[in-house]
This record gives sequence, structure tokens and C-alpha cells, in this order.
Amino acid sequence: MPEINDNIESDAELLQRVGWSGSGPEERHQRKRNFWVAFAFMSPAILLVSSVLLVPVGYNIYLSFTKWKKFKGLDEFAGFGNYERLSTNPFFTDAFYNTSIWVGASVLFPLILGLGLAVLVRGMLFESLFKDIIFIPRILAPTAVGVLWFYVYAPDGVVNRFLGLIAGREVDIGWLYQDNTVTPAIIVTFVWQTVGLVMVLILLGLNAIPKDPIEAAHMDGASRLQVFWYITLPLLLPTLLVVTILSVLAGFTVFDLLWVMGASYPGQRTLSLAVFQYFEAFQKGSWAFGSAIAVVLGIVVLTVTWTQAILQARVDRMIR
Amino acid sequence: MELSSITTAAFVAGTVTLGAGTTMAGDVELFHDKGFWSEALQQVGDVAGELTGNRIIESAYAAPEQYKAFIQSSAASGDMPDMFTWWTGGIFEELVSSGQIGSLDAVWDELISSGDFDASLRDFYTVDGVAYGVPLHLSRWVALYNKAQFADAGISEPETWGDLMDAAEKLKAAGHTPFHATAQDGWRGFIWFQEIMIRTNPEAYKGLHDGSVAYDSDAVRNAFQIWSDWYANGYFSDPRSNEEAADFARGKGAIYLIGDWAIGLVEAAGMKAGDDFSAFIMPNQDPSLQSSAILEGGPIVLSKAALDKPDVVNALKFFVSVDGANAWAGASGNALGNNNAEPPNSVVAKINADVAAKGTIALNRWWEAVPAELQGEFVAEFNRFMLDPTMETAEKVMTTIQSLNADYWASQ
Repeated sequence: MPEINDNIESDAELLQRVGWSGSGPEERHQRKRNFWVAFAFMSPAILLVSSVLLVPVGYNIYLSFTKWKKFKGLDEFAGFGNYERLSTNPFFTDAFYNTSIWVGASVLFPLILGLGLAVLVRGMLFESLFKDIIFIPRILAPTAVGVLWFYVYAPDGVVNRFLGLIAGREVDIGWLYQDNTVTPAIIVTFVWQTVGLVMVLILLGLNAIPKDPIEAAHMDGASRLQVFWYITLPLLLPTLLVVTILSVLAGFTVFDLLWVMGASYPGQRTLSLAVFQYFEAFQKGSWAFGSAIAVVLGIVVLTVTWTQAILQARVDRMIR
Repeated sequence: MELSSITTAAFVAGTVTLGAGTTMAGDVELFHDKGFWSEALQQVGDVAGELTGNRIIESAYAAPEQYKAFIQSSAASGDMPDMFTWWTGGIFEELVSSGQIGSLDAVWDELISSGDFDASLRDFYTVDGVAYGVPLHLSRWVALYNKAQFADAGISEPETWGDLMDAAEKLKAAGHTPFHATAQDGWRGFIWFQEIMIRTNPEAYKGLHDGSVAYDSDAVRNAFQIWSDWYANGYFSDPRSNEEAADFARGKGAIYLIGDWAIGLVEAAGMKAGDDFSAFIMPNQDPSLQSSAILEGGPIVLSKAALDKPDVVNALKFFVSVDGANAWAGASGNALGNNNAEPPNSVVAKINADVAAKGTIALNRWWEAVPAELQGEFVAEFNRFMLDPTMETAEKVMTTIQSLNADYWASQ
């Protein structure tokens, strides 16, 4: 006959241990009270977020279904007219495609480079100094960075002169004027500016990894590469996912660099959805149409980041 | 006691500091998007204060898009600024259609009867028979030229189309680039297009602006062919420069087609008007065509509510008066068309004399004449041509522009 375990806890004790204090009327009243106290403390933040975020976003969505007469304001309800116009707009497809390139590049290159720099810099002599130097571009205003690199890429700028030294002849590439070079050139600038932040975040993640499994792996004879690939990288995954989410957002919303560096490029309005939206809304004054573009961009961004958040949650559960 | 003294001192210092930045009674705010003229406008504003008691306070918005959004939202909310600058052309008509801009017919009646302004200039700011603006500046688009390079090439100001082509060849032979043109800031692509159009077919040029002439018509194709040929002949400077005025001062192009408002920029870059450079009106390809020049005249407008504010109306009248025009010319190098004011520099004086001698008529600048919704996309295509000036590119440019143009006019 199996032994009876005298240590079986009661249902109430079991529920209390997992955080469920009970379902009696007193407990329910306490939970309600706690909820309203918490809500009271959160209400200033809720008010702020509602007024500066939710209300404008809601109004923007509303506006996207209207016709807006310049200088006269709201004209009439337009249904899905703005969205239909968007679907046939020749510049929208190009802007969408270029935005996809931006998102891909803004995730891939800073991540790979940032990870490499973090691993390289970590533990080396003068680590702090190197971190600071690599981080400096991040603290510069994007507009200032754009102006600086506009001249770096100028026909007689640093890049062409450097290439000329290597090639032994004059190099005259219009980096910011040609269809096939403008986006890669601006992506290089973007990576230059953002890699410092990515490196710092990854370093934080690396420092948070417990040393025990790594030491144990070394003792078992694993090489540095094996330790990195099978232990460090999986444990770093949550950090990398956070970095990816931030990079995706940055890729979707990049504007300053494209605006400043793409100023003389004929296809500037198609460099990204954000720039396209700015042209339509503010240069042409088509606020309702611009709102429709913003809604589409918002839906795309929400979809991608929501997918990433689900992924993040799964990885977190896996790690635990 | 000590704390009280410190507090009092801080209070007084704060009040003085605040007072220094605030407007006084009688001050009138002028909103604009031309930050490069902020200092000059404030100089005029200070003179206005000294002479009339109504100081003009300039208030600049950095980017034209932000400025347009500000005015647009002000109009939508029914709270227009009292006095602000705008543009002529279709965008001016859109502003007037808001019903919130005041009629300046009474002001123009005074200006014309005093002889300060010609009646023909009023038309520039008239919509449906009512004048709604006065000039902030009035600029003719002329060919500034480098006197030293002209002397080096042994040429003088071209009077005919043949002279112009001859000048280009001689400048090239002397090692100078004849024509200076860039795509700087993304808006300049239309400059040589408009110039070649008005020199070859001014009627077609006007037809482009009301949709009666297509952008892929023979007249436009002819203009692109001339433009492309000139690039092929090596007549143009590198369009990728971002320092157009400074490059002209550095001698990177002998002939610089631009509004005479750029004279101040060229002087700031180191050339002296009259001594180092002068200007001429470009000749027509067909000598039987009347002499013409592109005229650009951004207006200052008043809101309807501002008409009931004597301070605002006085400030506006001062700006276009002889004293105001002289102050503006001295501060910015710009003229605003007041016949009795001093020309801002010897080059503008010379152009005024040429215009009078030739009976040069004014044509609306392309930027203002084209529908506002199409400006950005069209000029981007002109820039595209400048960066790859072949007829193959020209055909694609014409096709793209005409597609957008046709859609626009079909929807009107």
C-alpha cells in the first residue's frame, strides 16, 4: 500500500502558495480595492498618454476617412477613398519597398556589427574608452549627422577621395544622387549612428549572463566558439530580441537622415513611407491622404512589433 | 533680510529678461518661412518702429512645409495670423478661397495714386478682381554673369540667341563652364526648363499652367532637346553641387540663371555686384518674340481681422513705402518694386533700365504657376533629368510628369 504523505497541503495553502489568496468575499473586496488604488496612481499617466497619444491617433484614423479641404478644414466623409487612392499611387509601392529594405537593413547590420563589437570590446584593455568612442555618434542629433554625411558623400567628398586614393584615379560617384547608391549610402550612415547603442545593449545582456554554465562548459572542454554558439547566444536571445524590436521601430520611422541626405535625390519621396507621408501631408497639404498613409504605416509597424512581442514572450518562457 | 534681497533681485532680473523678449504695444508680428532673411526683416521692422511707432517683429518658421501647415491649421481654426508672407499662383488662390484674407484694394489705390507702384503689379496679387497682397520682394530672374570670365573669353552680354550660343562656345574654349545650374535643395530643377520654354515658346509655357499644353508636347520636347544638347556640349556645371551661389562666386560657371534676390548671396560669397558680376536678360530664340523675364513676387497678406487693426495696416503700408523699401533693400539686397525707392544694388538698377529699354514683359514663375499639388513631383523629375541629361531620360521624365498632370486636370 503506498505511503500516505502527511505533508499534503490543504487547498487553501496550495492556492496561497501560488499567489491566489482565496476567493472569499473579503478577498474579492480587497482585490477590487487594490485595483482602484492602482488605477488612481496610474491615472495621471493614463491621462497623459490618452491626451498626447490616443486622442491624436484616434483623430488621425478618423481624418483618414474624410476629405480635407486646404484652408477650410474638414469637408466631408470620404469612406475608403483615401485608401483606394493610396493603392493606385505610383510612389506608394516604391516607398513601401524601400521601407522594407530599411527595416531589414536597420535590424541586420547594427545587430551583427553591434554583437561583434560587444564581444570584441568586452574585457579588453580600455574597454570603457572604446565603448565611449563607439557610442559618440549616437548622441549626435540625426539632422547634424545627415548634414555631416551629406558632405562626406559629396562628389568631391571624403568617400570619393578615399576611393580615388585606392583606385589611383579620380572617383566621381554621386552617392546621394543615384537610384542604386542612395539607400545603401544612407544605411551606412544609419548603422554608423546606431551601432553604438546596439553594442551597449548587447554588452548589458552579456554581463547579465550567469558565469556558471560558461565555466562548466569550459571545464568540460568546450571551445570558445562552442561556448558562444551553444550557451552565450541562446542566453543572449532575449536581449537580441529587444534590440531587434527597437531596430525595427527605428527602421520604420527613419526620417531625419533621409530628409537631409536625400534632399537633392529626385526620388526622395519614395525613400520611405515616413518621407512619403511627410510629402503628401505637409508639402502638398493633403492632410486626410497623409493620415491614411500614417494609418497604413501604423498597422504595418504594429503587426511586425506584435509578432516580435509574441516571439519575445516565447523565448522568455523557453529561457526560464 | 538677505534672502529677501536675493529674491527681489531675482524677481527683477526675471522680469527684465522676460520683458526683453516680449512684444510691446504697437508691435506687429510678421510670420514667414524665410529664415535666411530673418535678420534683414528685423532690421526693417526696427526702422518701422522708429519711424511709425509700429515695430515689425519677424517670426520665422524653419521649413516651408511646417509654415504651410501652420497657416493651414490657423485657417481651419479660423484664427489666422494678422500679417504673414505667402506665395503667388495657385497656392495664393487657395489661401484666398479660405475667405479669411483681407482685401488690400484700398492700400493698392494709395500706392498707385502716389506713383510708388505700377498698376500692372497689382495684377500679380489679384484674385477675381480683388488685390489680396503687397510685395514682400519682387525679383526678376536674370542671367548673372562673371565679368572676368566674359572678358577672358572676349565676349559681351549676348543680345540674340546666336550671341548666346557663341558666348557659350567662347567661354568653353577659354576654359570656363558657360552655364551654372544645380539641383541643390531639390527645388531648382525647373529653372532652366522654364527659361528655355519662355525663350522658345512662351505661349506653350503659359499653356502648361492651365493644362492646355501637355508636358509631352512638341514644345516641351523641343525644350528638353535644347537642354540635353547643351549638356552634351559641356555647357553646364555639375548639378550635384550644394553651394550654388558660392560656386558661382568661385567661378564654377560663367552665367548663373537665378532670381535677383540671389545677388545678396553672391555678394556674401565674395563677389561685388557691378564690379565682379552683372546681369542681362536672356535673349529669345525667335527675335520677333517680345522680351520677357520671369517675375517672382512673394506677397505679404493680412487676415480679414487685421484690416480692423490700424497698427497692422500701418506696418504693412510702411513696408511697401519708400522708407520701407529702402530699408529692405539695404538690409537684404532685395527690391520690392517701389518706383521711388533706391535700387538695392547696381545690378538691379541695370536690369530695371534694361527692362524699361526693351519693354520686357513679366511672366509668372513656373513654381507659382504650376498647381501646388504637382510642384514637388514635377521638379523632382526635372532634377532627375539634370542628373542624367539624355533624351532617353527626358522621354521618361515627360511621360511621368504628363501622367500626373493629366490626372490632376482630369480631376478638376
